[in-house]
Amino acid sequence: MKKAWQLTCLAFVALAVYTLVLSFEYPYMDRLGPGPGFFPFWLSLITGTLSLALFLQTTLAKRAAHGSATLLPDRLGALRIMIILVGLVGGLAIFETLGFRITLLLFLFFLPLALGVRNWWFILIFALAGSFGVFHVFYYWLKLPLPMGHFGI
Amino acid sequence: MEAFQYWVQGFSVATLPTNLMFAFIGCVLGTLIGVLPGLGPAAGTAILIPITFNLDPIGAIIMLSAIYYGAMYGGTITSVLVNVPGEAASVITCLDGFQMAKQGRAGPALGISAIGSFIGGTFATFALMVVSLPLATFALRFGPPEVFALLVVGLSLVTGLSGRSLLAALIMTFFGIMLAMIGMDPVRGAPRFTFGITPLYDGVGFVPVVMGLFGVGEILISMEKPVLEIIKTKLKDLLPKREEWKVSAGAIGRGTILGFFLGLIPGIGAIIPTFVAYVVEKKVSKHPEKFGTGVIEGVASPETANNSYANGALVPLLTLGIPGSPTLAVLMGAFIIHGLTPGPFLFKERPDVVWGLIASLYLGNIMLLVLNLPLVGFWAKLLEIRYQYLYPGILLFCILGAYSLNQSVFDVGVMVAFGVLGYIFRKLDWPLAPTVLALILGPMMERALRTSLEISGGDMSIFITRPISAVLLILAAIVLISPAVRGVAKRAGKD
Amino acid sequence: MKRKIFLGLVMVSMVAFVVSAYAAEYPTKPVTLQVPWPAGGATDVGARILASIAEKKMGQPIVVINKVGAGSQVGLTETARQKPDGYYLGFVSVPALNTIILDPERKAVFDLEAFVPIINQVIDPGVIWVKADSPYNTLKDLIDDAKKRPAEIKASTTGILGDDHLAILMMEEAAGVKFRIVHLEGGAPQLAATLGGQVDVSFDNVGSVAPRVKAGQLRGLAVMDRERSKFLPDVPTTAELGYGTVISSSSRGILGPKGIPAPIIKKIQEVFLEAMKHPEHVEKMERAGLAIRPIVGDEYAKYLRDIQERCKALVEAARKAR
Repeated sequence: MKKAWQLTCLAFVALAVYTLVLSFEYPYMDRLGPGPGFFPFWLSLITGTLSLALFLQTTLAKRAAHGSATLLPDRLGALRIMIILVGLVGGLAIFETLGFRITLLLFLFFLPLALGVRNWWFILIFALAGSFGVFHVFYYWLKLPLPMGHFGI
Repeated sequence: MEAFQYWVQGFSVATLPTNLMFAFIGCVLGTLIGVLPGLGPAAGTAILIPITFNLDPIGAIIMLSAIYYGAMYGGTITSVLVNVPGEAASVITCLDGFQMAKQGRAGPALGISAIGSFIGGTFATFALMVVSLPLATFALRFGPPEVFALLVVGLSLVTGLSGRSLLAALIMTFFGIMLAMIGMDPVRGAPRFTFGITPLYDGVGFVPVVMGLFGVGEILISMEKPVLEIIKTKLKDLLPKREEWKVSAGAIGRGTILGFFLGLIPGIGAIIPTFVAYVVEKKVSKHPEKFGTGVIEGVASPETANNSYANGALVPLLTLGIPGSPTLAVLMGAFIIHGLTPGPFLFKERPDVVWGLIASLYLGNIMLLVLNLPLVGFWAKLLEIRYQYLYPGILLFCILGAYSLNQSVFDVGVMVAFGVLGYIFRKLDWPLAPTVLALILGPMMERALRTSLEISGGDMSIFITRPISAVLLILAAIVLISPAVRGVAKRAGKD
Repeated sequence: MKRKIFLGLVMVSMVAFVVSAYAAEYPTKPVTLQVPWPAGGATDVGARILASIAEKKMGQPIVVINKVGAGSQVGLTETARQKPDGYYLGFVSVPALNTIILDPERKAVFDLEAFVPIINQVIDPGVIWVKADSPYNTLKDLIDDAKKRPAEIKASTTGILGDDHLAILMMEEAAGVKFRIVHLEGGAPQLAATLGGQVDVSFDNVGSVAPRVKAGQLRGLAVMDRERSKFLPDVPTTAELGYGTVISSSSRGILGPKGIPAPIIKKIQEVFLEAMKHPEHVEKMERAGLAIRPIVGDEYAKYLRDIQERCKALVEAARKAR
């Protein structure tokens, strides 16, 4: 956990340096006062300083650090998290191409399966309701458009 | 007394069967809209405007207003049940509300929300009737410098949310402000930090970020050890315990007053009243450390402030015709489409509309209570669905909500990305609330600063020469310095 | 020879048949109308009223969506990118369209050529207004005071480089005065700021303020047009008052991404033109204080180019003042 905190602080320092450099692209002052570059400049400096301070505080602290005892989840937990993430990212990738209905059909079919449910019929109904059913409610009743893919579905 | 006459007339209008029906439909629709995260009262109300085209003006307005404050309550439901705040106003409720739900106490959380909302809303409506015009006119003196000062106070209160590490909380706050810098800047209207990605021109989007950090992040965390044993809620567990009623009473009282008065200031936005009420409650509490673990005042306070604010914000709208938030702007648009312009003259010319609406607000508050209290059991039961279905279902909701904001897949992507970030920060035990608050307050502050300087012609002293602004800034300084002073005093006391 | 003519005729009629069949087919699914401004605002209200009436003639639902951001730049960018098949149309607000294109700092990825102008709906003239108990009773009062106190009188707009901003610059040039320009975000903050005395005078459009001027909450000093607005018949025009060069308005209409086939454009124009003339549309827009002015096709394109020309100098002036 201590290492995790240290890493995060360093990541923030890196972010702060990056935005500091970027902030020079924008004018610092303007006829009336602070320009677009003013706040990013100071915020980067402050964030960087705070992150360094926390890094030092964590490194030098003698007591055990805060947070959960183990940082990484156990195998099964990690697997489940990956499944969710794969589902989400995969869904995002095909969302515009295949449209809402197909994407969510696949998404809602894949996830329960991957997480251990074996009742195929239930899953199918759930997936259909969540994809085609929801689409119908939103598109036709609420007039809220949801994407239809390149194939018009 | 003239006012009493109007009140009676208003009730006679509001209790017409058709108007009662419209109010009811509005409450139901509003709650449903609020439950869908991301859709937001503004978009939802806008969608429903065409439906009201064919209704008579009073009926239409009653229905739209009911949708408006119904949505406020709907947002609470998702905050408590799945840690997904539907919109800004519900964010703070997540802090304790969701924790309560995890302990199997979703019932009391939702129940106290309904009751608190009812009390807050009713009081605000009453105040609306009695003190509207002079108060609203006074509130107009809150110009950009005063708003800036108020926001500084708001940000300084973040120290009240710091949890275990003050430094981490501060870093998260500044991280939030930096995120807020993405997009068009208020000075030139030119894009900043957008890397040429067009959807970023308007900023990174508050709702996707919040839904990601809180909602998706929570799902990822729970995936580590999903609740396989379902906590069955018993009927008696649906109500708050006796001690809880007592503490809630104070919280509700304080929340009501704070929410209403902050609602009078146009342009503040719903998150400030909830946040201020929560921090104030924490400061007056006998057990401030327990906040964030599932204390009922942590729910009662922001929820009451929320509804009190929603009704209070109607004051500038009805008395002066100034909508205090995008949702109210939509409501005002609806007024205009039906040929009515809210303002002092609507009071005089069409008292039936205004007082009918006010009376309908009372009835609406009652309807919401009646509608939602029995449903509390239903919502609590929903949590008993198997996680393999429940969580994908929640994700479906989130995707829908994030997408429907701007019909953009980008927003969904932002939500997922911040979901991962939310997971990481939760593992580290770094607080998420400061980031979310800073994301809203940051751009408001920059804009207010900029506009104040435009008004003063570049003179920074405007913040001190204007009385209200000066007082607020001193307050902010006190809030910021007091923990340090207390720390020094403690150490001095020890020696 | 006769055979060739015969074949030629057959080919021509086949092409004509296909083309007209193509047009006759449109629309076969719902049409999206995107509004780059927030729900409930003047443009959005006008668009939704129009859409709800036009969809009856269109035969398919017209779904209004909002794609807000960057003073309509996000929405316009989106419209420019869409497939030009007639199923995605975008509302546009002028001169916002032009100032986005003209200001290099906005880094717009489109220009006028990226769109095909279809039809204009509303032209909303600009108006200079103050609160009811303001010391300024006429435009002359304002200008006199402005001359006495250069750069002190606070004039507000509803957005940077919007029509209000450009109008103030025109006024400054025509009257030889300097205001202290305060940019607010939209009509609501402007109303609050003016009523609360945070600013002294405001520039906006007739549609936003007419009902309140009529009700006496606000006072109109001048309408920036050549003829009086029927919504504000008692307010003189800048032309009458001797400032004939200060003509400003905000217009809203429909564009499509460039490349929509001509027959489809024609169909869209027919549908919307008829909807605009429909008594329900006229009545609702009247109540909202919005003046309908349909301008179709090429005439609309010319109108947009003219506005762009006029804006060039003003945008330069605005940038120099930064």
